[in-house]
Amino acid sequence: MATGIKDRVAVIGMGCTQFGERWDKGADDLMVEAFEEAIADAGIDRSQIEAAWMGNALDDISVGNSALPLAHALRLQTIPVSRVENMCATGTEALRAATYAVASGAVDFALALGVEKLKDTGYGGLPLKTKGLANDLWMPYGSAPGTFAQLAGAYTARHGVDAADLKRAMGHVSWKSHQNGALNPKAHLRNPVDMEKILSAPMIADPLGLFDCCGVSDGAACAIVTTPEIAKSLGRANPVTVKAIQLSASNGWEMQYGEWDGASVRNTQVASRRAYAEAGIDPRADLSMTEVHDCFSITELVTMEDLGLSNEGRALFDVLDGDYDANGRIPCQIDGGLKCFGHPVGASGLRMAYEVYIQLEGRAGSRQRQNMDFGLTHNLGGSPFNSVAAVSILGRLN
Amino acid sequence: MSGRFISGASGYLPLLRLDRAAAAKALRFSGLGGRGAGTRAVAGWDEDALTLAVEASRALVSESAPAKFIFASTSAPFFERSQATLAIEALALPVATRSNDVAGSRRCAVAALLDAVQGSGDTVIAAGEKRPARAGSAQHFRFGDGGVAVRVGDVGAARFIGSASLSRDLVDTYASREHPTPYVYEERFVREVSARDVIAPTIRAACADAGIDPSAITHAAVHEPLPNLWRDIAKLSGVTAPNYATDLEAKAGDLGAAHALYAFALALDAAKAGDIILLASFGSGCDALLFEATGDTPGSSVASAMLATGIVTTDYVRFLSLTGEIALDWGVRSEFEQKAQGTVLERHGRNTIGFIGGRDSAGNVQFPKSRMPVRPGATGPEPMADIRLADVAANLVSVTADRLNYTPDPPFWFGLVQFDGGARVLMELTDADPKGFSVGDPLAMRLRIKGIDRKRGFRTYFWKAAPHVRPSLEN
Repeated sequence: MATGIKDRVAVIGMGCTQFGERWDKGADDLMVEAFEEAIADAGIDRSQIEAAWMGNALDDISVGNSALPLAHALRLQTIPVSRVENMCATGTEALRAATYAVASGAVDFALALGVEKLKDTGYGGLPLKTKGLANDLWMPYGSAPGTFAQLAGAYTARHGVDAADLKRAMGHVSWKSHQNGALNPKAHLRNPVDMEKILSAPMIADPLGLFDCCGVSDGAACAIVTTPEIAKSLGRANPVTVKAIQLSASNGWEMQYGEWDGASVRNTQVASRRAYAEAGIDPRADLSMTEVHDCFSITELVTMEDLGLSNEGRALFDVLDGDYDANGRIPCQIDGGLKCFGHPVGASGLRMAYEVYIQLEGRAGSRQRQNMDFGLTHNLGGSPFNSVAAVSILGRLN
Repeated sequence: MSGRFISGASGYLPLLRLDRAAAAKALRFSGLGGRGAGTRAVAGWDEDALTLAVEASRALVSESAPAKFIFASTSAPFFERSQATLAIEALALPVATRSNDVAGSRRCAVAALLDAVQGSGDTVIAAGEKRPARAGSAQHFRFGDGGVAVRVGDVGAARFIGSASLSRDLVDTYASREHPTPYVYEERFVREVSARDVIAPTIRAACADAGIDPSAITHAAVHEPLPNLWRDIAKLSGVTAPNYATDLEAKAGDLGAAHALYAFALALDAAKAGDIILLASFGSGCDALLFEATGDTPGSSVASAMLATGIVTTDYVRFLSLTGEIALDWGVRSEFEQKAQGTVLERHGRNTIGFIGGRDSAGNVQFPKSRMPVRPGATGPEPMADIRLADVAANLVSVTADRLNYTPDPPFWFGLVQFDGGARVLMELTDADPKGFSVGDPLAMRLRIKGIDRKRGFRTYFWKAAPHVRPSLEN
């Protein structure tokens, strides 16, 4: 009987680069920058790392395939390195692999590193237009905002809410992230934006305006994990541990089977319930913060319901009531989120874990939350109708 | 009653109609712009001669399959790859259906119809045109895009009663591989010689063949080489009936190989039993055919309805873009290649262009088919029965107007489409009317170009979802 990974793996070091338009840095530079912060934090020798996973989502237009770019950048000597890719959930996928390696007893120290260098591609990091040769014969090539924008119309239809009210709540989501991002020195966007500007921005994909969409960034983030016992031996009396990591992936049900109404993301619901069970927590009572996949404002709003933090049909009102603001019931995107911290795709899941980790460690500076117990990351790849949702929960060992 | 009959006739016009007068204002500085009256049908970026012909054919093959399918066009996208065969697959007709493509002049469709009525077997002749023309030329405004299909058999609604043909290399215009857009010769020469020496004599000969006087003709569908030539042709031939091709040219443009047949479909729709209908084409000669109406022609009301619905645009630059006469810089978003592989087309092409999904053992329908059904609870691979989705009612589950994604005619509408009976498909949407699409909208499927590989000169086809009802042009 599987018992899960709760408290079987400790996070002892994390690093995260400045996100943004890093014109002066290549992917190798970004990997080194994130890793040097993490290895210094961990307090171990780099030669002690026994296995590494590199998360990189858009290999064909940025870093190159395989995990060899990681081995080269960090000069990792003959240890197993593997590349993982699961669209925007790639970063959490890398963390999951490293965590499982330690939990299995295969290694004592493992590295997870996510990196994306999109600003060399010349066009904002949009993926190449192929879904595979057979799918290309029929499947539309909608943009990412185009796919997530469809949540809004379906949400309006399901709950009978006014589209203008929903747009206002979506605007509040972005307003809040800009407020938070302004306090984060590593964030891509550090400018507060007023609601009027958000609501009057040019339309990207109806009803998503410019400020309803996150951009993409250059950046890297990484984690070094080990066992709680080793963590204690390294002087961490009450280390941050992984309480849960769960994934759920589409099998075509949303796109091909006529049940889903398009107003929610089933994989987020499933992965989060599994994660709550694995961690043994009550999300509304126990979570101190969340870092969710706010690729678009409507995604964050719907995610609040899919995670069970808002009642069905109530996220619109909870958002407007400030429940997820920095001083709200369960702060969301205290670091600015994808919207403002940035979205180097393969690194984003690890960036979320980074924020939860430094909040648990009490090292978040001016945006530090008090009374931190558990933090949740929600890393969503794909589209609402064809997704990979990764939910992780971090907390203290005791 | 024995003989050969028209058993069906239908037409298809693209949604957009260019207001010629409004568009001509953009050319006022140059003195160009042609007649500047009426409208012309403008195909979407994702339509071509094949899709237009297939759309026109749908109403004629929904009940039964013909033995033979002929595709006629002077603007076929492929020189080597049969459009007729593609149409058979798009219409999900049996593979045993005979196929042939005809071309060579705008007379080719009527010539094929003449072959069909003089031959045997159940035959569909489908014509489609999306002819290129240079901006500023009279043809750019005069041409129109559209499709038509006519079915011939041993029973039907209009009996073939006579014909005549004339082959003559009267070069009024030509297009060639080296000069793909029309090169046009002296207009007065064409007016005089074509009417006097080609069209009128052929009509008179057809009447003689049928044993009728030209004045007995009640409806005419005669393709005029140039506008306003019908009066001369009628006078020279003795025909007094109105010409449906004239009105068609004014409203939709000159449809090339599809023009005479489309006018014929309009004439059939108007005809009563006992009426005599003249069909005559022009181009390197003339074919003239006469029919006696014996009843209502299936599908012909569709041709009339198409002429009455659509959306008028006055946007000359959009027209230039849609007709390929201006190359807009769409930026880096448009920098991608879509190479279709022959092996993949062989495995999936027929199910794609035919929009064939599968019904699993529990009755659920899905697209595309798969070894393992998408149905929750399925425990292993199952055989799937073919289900064509092109004609199944559907509505929108989710939708957006994507302004980031590249498309030659923004915005890029797409969404989840739910078909009655179970299938759900993520689809591109097309033919948006001014109010756009909303969740719950009823939809109709249209065959369209899916992707164009300009580097290799290839294109693939799939179906897109359009509003179930088109706006009336009278609104």
